[in-house]
Amino acid sequence: MIYSLNNVNYLQDEHDLANSMASSQWLPGESENPVINAIRGRVLLLLALGVFVTLIIDLIAGLAGVELLEVGGRTLGGDIALDTLIDRLRTGLIVGLIFGLAGIGLSMTYSILNFANFSHGDLFTTGAFTGWGVALLIAGWGAGDAGYLLLARSGTGPNPNEIGASIVASPLAILIGVVVSAVVTVAVALLADRFVYRPMRDREGISLLIASIGVALALRSFIQFVYGPQTRGVTAIEGVQEKNFLGTGMSVDLHQLTLLVVSLALMIGMHLLLQRTKLGKAMRAMADNKDLALVTGIPTERIVRATWILGAGLAGVAGFLYVLERGTMNFNVGWFLLLFIFAGVILGGIGSIYGAIAGGLVIGMVQEVSLIWISSDFNAAAAFAIMILVLLYRPEGIFGGVTTA
Amino acid sequence: MSEQDTTESPTEAASTIEDTNETATTDTGEDVSAKTDPIAAAPEESILEVRDLDAGYGDLQILEDVDLNVGGGEYVTIVGPNGAGKSTVMKSVFGLTTYMGGTVIFDGEDIHGLRPEDIIYKGISYVPQNDNVFPNLSVQENLEMGAYILDEVPPERLQDVYDRFPILEDRKSQNAGSMSGGQRQMVAMGRALMLDPDLLLLDEPSAGLAPDLVDEMFDRIDRINDDGTAILMVEQNAKEALRRCDRGYVLAQGQNGYVDTGDRLLADEEVRQQFLGG
Repeated sequence: MIYSLNNVNYLQDEHDLANSMASSQWLPGESENPVINAIRGRVLLLLALGVFVTLIIDLIAGLAGVELLEVGGRTLGGDIALDTLIDRLRTGLIVGLIFGLAGIGLSMTYSILNFANFSHGDLFTTGAFTGWGVALLIAGWGAGDAGYLLLARSGTGPNPNEIGASIVASPLAILIGVVVSAVVTVAVALLADRFVYRPMRDREGISLLIASIGVALALRSFIQFVYGPQTRGVTAIEGVQEKNFLGTGMSVDLHQLTLLVVSLALMIGMHLLLQRTKLGKAMRAMADNKDLALVTGIPTERIVRATWILGAGLAGVAGFLYVLERGTMNFNVGWFLLLFIFAGVILGGIGSIYGAIAGGLVIGMVQEVSLIWISSDFNAAAAFAIMILVLLYRPEGIFGGVTTA
Repeated sequence: MSEQDTTESPTEAASTIEDTNETATTDTGEDVSAKTDPIAAAPEESILEVRDLDAGYGDLQILEDVDLNVGGGEYVTIVGPNGAGKSTVMKSVFGLTTYMGGTVIFDGEDIHGLRPEDIIYKGISYVPQNDNVFPNLSVQENLEMGAYILDEVPPERLQDVYDRFPILEDRKSQNAGSMSGGQRQMVAMGRALMLDPDLLLLDEPSAGLAPDLVDEMFDRIDRINDDGTAILMVEQNAKEALRRCDRGYVLAQGQNGYVDTGDRLLADEEVRQQFLGG
């Protein structure tokens, strides 16, 4: 009401009044008054900018080893080792790639099947457990009981270093593990589609979302039942940290390198598939307009199946690679990461695979780099703060719009 | 729905036409909902023949005993007031509504119940009224989608569409969503023409176009028809549509009202008063 009174004072005649009333409607959160918009727009943005600039100054001063001022026991500047920063950026990139890779499927399911798939995190877990079971079996052939190995060290038996599953000791086992993680996850997703999602294809997104929570719980319980609840280490560490990589003198974690190469290759592959192939174009067409895709003669059920195959396959591989880098896993791994994957997808603009990748990288980077200033208890909050900020000022996300392009 | 809702005094309507009951559709026989001129209404050979069609959405019946036919290469329009079920007729031909009875014969074959991709394969293409392009696909990709049911996009078909709409070739890499309304309509028609259909279904092609573009659009449709493609069109712009077409159907409340050549419908006092605004 205050807005409208102010407006009346400025108005020259009734014609303007009518125009103004018609155009503004006084929707909550929407004002035609530029002053109010500008103030609201700037409070949060200025605050965020202030925090950002302070952190940058602190970072630069810290890297230079200069202590600028001390407030309440905290110093601006001080000592931040360059190595720490590089380390954080590297971890951020790695985690971001995982979020991005897993997010592609989530984003595609959203744009083509029209629902937020909460079982996506457990597809991630499915890939991790099934892939690692087979990788351990191959790498540790003869080293222990086959059942123990196939169930990813459920029970008692040799330790991970004795099994020797790493990209150095048994690259073939890792490669087969990647393939198995994709294949089994795809099979699980197709089964879920056949028995849960397909019968409810025409329902609203909210019904499907709730169904997907059911699938998530069922899947997680099943994994816990079969593989056991304990957190287990799976990778061997010997030789993985290459001190003198290709003679450059750089220290490189070969598992991180594997993750980087495989995930980048898959992302580029997805890009080419969507832009160049008939299937990819049809997927984009269906994401754009399902009704038109139908009358154009695009076999929509086949496109849906392709969406599950690609999305679930990438989620499974992401799960496998994440564990390759971390070294350990438990049955909650995907469920706990789902929120971050969602954050990345939403931040990038839900529906766009490029948005999912970019958003995942941003969330991963923010989460890891923020560890320079805050403890690991709070770094997730930093990632979500960035997400909220982006959504406030660019509600459609970085890449915007419901599209797979 | 009673027959009387459609036309208050059917015998007076279309009075210039000799009244025959050949295609009358009522079970009771007490009233005739369709006025038929035997010469104009029965093309020598129908490519599309709709008989006694009942259809709707879910439990809601929209069409009742609709009869309609389109000859090979013929240009037929359906006009009528809002909510008469014009678009529903078209969607029903394409299998997008709930079928409730009757037959839809295309090229001698009953096509009701077929999937859209199979109907396209038989030679019908459909251009919906709204949202008829893929906005995030380029113009060329939109056209390629029109030939999805083929293993490969025939280059000569693509060239044919580009020859028909040269501006699309100039803008083939542009996203269809960033084009003007008239250009989008060309993309949509181009997509539908990619398979060189025998019958093109057009749902309100002039909707949302600026007045000067409407004429151009009708000219283009004329040329498509001149090249041998039969056209079944629903139009809000009834006078212009009837002027251009070979034959017109007036649909009211989901039933056949009148059918005759476009010119004669235009000249008919009853049709003018009830449906064309005098």
